[in-house]
Amino acid sequence: MPGAIPASVTRLIDEFSRLPGIGPKTAARLTYYLLRTPDENALALAEALRDLKATTRYCSSCYNITEQDPCPICSDEKRDHEMICVVEEPLDVVAFERTQNYRGVYHVLHGAINPIEGVGPDQLRIKELVARVSQGAVREVIMATNVGLEGDATAMYIHRQLNGLVRLTRLARGLPVGADLEYADSITLSGALEGRQEMHE
Amino acid sequence: METMSQFLSSCLPHSPIHIPHPLQRVRIGANAAFVHIRSFMRISHISLTNFRNYARLELAILPGMIVLHGDNAQGKTSLLEAIYYLATSRSPHITADRQLISWLADDEPIPYARLVAEVTAASGLKRIEMTLLAGNRGSAARFKKEVRINGLPRRVMDLLGQILVVMFLPQDLALVEGAPVLRRRYMNVTLCQTDQQYCQALRKYEHTLSQRNALLRNLQEQGRRGDHSQLQFWDETLAATGAMLIAGRHRLLRDLERRAQRIHRDLSGAGEHLRLRYQPGFDVSVEPGGQMAFNAGDLGASALPELPPDEITGRFMEALSACRRDDLIRGITTIGPQRDEMRFLVNGHDLGLYGSRGQNRTAVLALKLAELSWMQEITGEWPILLLDEVAAELDEKRRTYLLERVGEAEQVLLTTTEPSLLPSELLKTAARWHVRNGTITVEETLSG
Ligand SMILES: Nc1ncnc2c1ncn2[C@@H]1O[C@H](COP(=O)(O)OP(=O)(O)OP(=O)(O)O)[C@@H](O)[C@H]1O
Ligand SMILES: [Mg+2]
Ligand SMILES: [Zn+2]
Repeated sequence: MPGAIPASVTRLIDEFSRLPGIGPKTAARLTYYLLRTPDENALALAEALRDLKATTRYCSSCYNITEQDPCPICSDEKRDHEMICVVEEPLDVVAFERTQNYRGVYHVLHGAINPIEGVGPDQLRIKELVARVSQGAVREVIMATNVGLEGDATAMYIHRQLNGLVRLTRLARGLPVGADLEYADSITLSGALEGRQEMHE
Repeated sequence: METMSQFLSSCLPHSPIHIPHPLQRVRIGANAAFVHIRSFMRISHISLTNFRNYARLELAILPGMIVLHGDNAQGKTSLLEAIYYLATSRSPHITADRQLISWLADDEPIPYARLVAEVTAASGLKRIEMTLLAGNRGSAARFKKEVRINGLPRRVMDLLGQILVVMFLPQDLALVEGAPVLRRRYMNVTLCQTDQQYCQALRKYEHTLSQRNALLRNLQEQGRRGDHSQLQFWDETLAATGAMLIAGRHRLLRDLERRAQRIHRDLSGAGEHLRLRYQPGFDVSVEPGGQMAFNAGDLGASALPELPPDEITGRFMEALSACRRDDLIRGITTIGPQRDEMRFLVNGHDLGLYGSRGQNRTAVLALKLAELSWMQEITGEWPILLLDEVAAELDEKRRTYLLERVGEAEQVLLTTTEPSLLPSELLKTAARWHVRNGTITVEETLSG
């Protein structure tokens, strides 16, 4: 039945289905829900989406998502800028900040090495990290990638790139295997941070 | 586990200590090669929903021998399959998990099957629950398995070892005659039931292997730009976990070979000598270039020297770098345990190539009985025995031999279309269940 669904509706359904965790059915349900809601609600959503992209960017130092560059953490004088904690996702930064126990800065990779999904070192902010460390003035790099094969592969790869340049540590294995950092509770994460160990091949 | 097996091996063989079985039942013979174990593990209740042709089944299961009889296609094998699945998280058949869900459930919004077993063990009563969710039809939602133990969500891996089973199936013959993948599967399932570390290594190995293969293909596409140093991590992980698989499989086959040889001699007479040969998926030479190669000649698994896993890791790493160029061209990992083989030899001849039907049956029966005795020794328990159509499959001599050896088990479920093929003594004491169209009726025993 071509034409049974207006093009603008199909377009939104398609856009929704691109999102992680949303299948075609959910996408259609969300779209028809929005069709029924008052105009101002739908417009508020549209504005929020537009602003999301218009007002945010990557921090040019740590590559976290930010509204101002450098981000509040990188521009905080009181933090220890010689200590960099390397994480996979922006939400991992949130998890570390919740511990209120870490006073260094971050580097966000935006993923982990995962050949099956076509993610190699070039798709991650690894070159930027190496450049940041090579400029000197960094005392320690803490590898805080997720526990599991992909996180380990990423940590080992970075280890090889930075070896000899700086002190490298890895979070202690208090974390459950397969656990995502963003879901770890603050106490576990603080413990893992304190018990971090020198990284060897 | 170690102390238990030490304890058991100290009373082995021909132990003067005979621990009386808590419930004396069918005993049509005893054999000194088999340990007498006081076992507690058994299933006391099973409930099935939408599993194969069981729309709904609630069944209390007694200890001892149970004969399931009925016409073809009524659900005898499916009940054994359900128990096997709860124990190992796999079907004994090569089948998609999706096919276990009753096709009558296909019209439901989310077709699912549920299997629940109540298990009595030395450690107390356990409730083991498994739900298979088909995912929406036509949607991308994938098939899912959910496990609960005593009501708490658990990983599928935590299921292994909760219920121990040994199953005898007519298609076991394919272990000798069929494709190598069946023999690797056999080694994996057998080891996973008793060895969590092996199971963990296996999962990690398989995951690493897919990542490495994907990386090989990515590098192939990238050509000269590709960064080959990325392989190092996956190579190291592959070698370390692969070495654990190789060491585990070698140990298993060595232990099984010793036991199977004894049983095979009983079954076939003195003239035939059985060997189980383990052939790792790359040459694990003891000395590189030395004459004592792991794969050499017709040596059985127990004649091969045991190698410590780090030594195997080292050899594996060397072998991986030796074939890296080949792997890059082919876009796949060409060596490793995913290529392992085990072969059955009688008097030096490979049964897979030269065995007669009867010879192959005897070899498989010897292997399965060896597995039973091995599992008893390392776990200190009688596994639950699932015997599918053994009466029709085996001749009188082998049948009697088998039934003698399982008579003392804590729990035996035996299917047959033809109860008259079973020894009358067994029929007198065993419980009898009639299976018809996905329902089970408990019958009076003949002797009452
Ligand atoms: N997913 C399914 N849903 C419903 N029925 C199924 C499903 N899978 C298999 N069956 C049916 O279940 C029936 C029972 O099969 P089963 O193998 O348990 O029979 P059996 O009693 O062992 O027979 P036989 O004596 O021939 O070995 C068969 O008719 C089979 O077609
Ligand atoms: Mg059957
Ligand atoms: Zn920043």
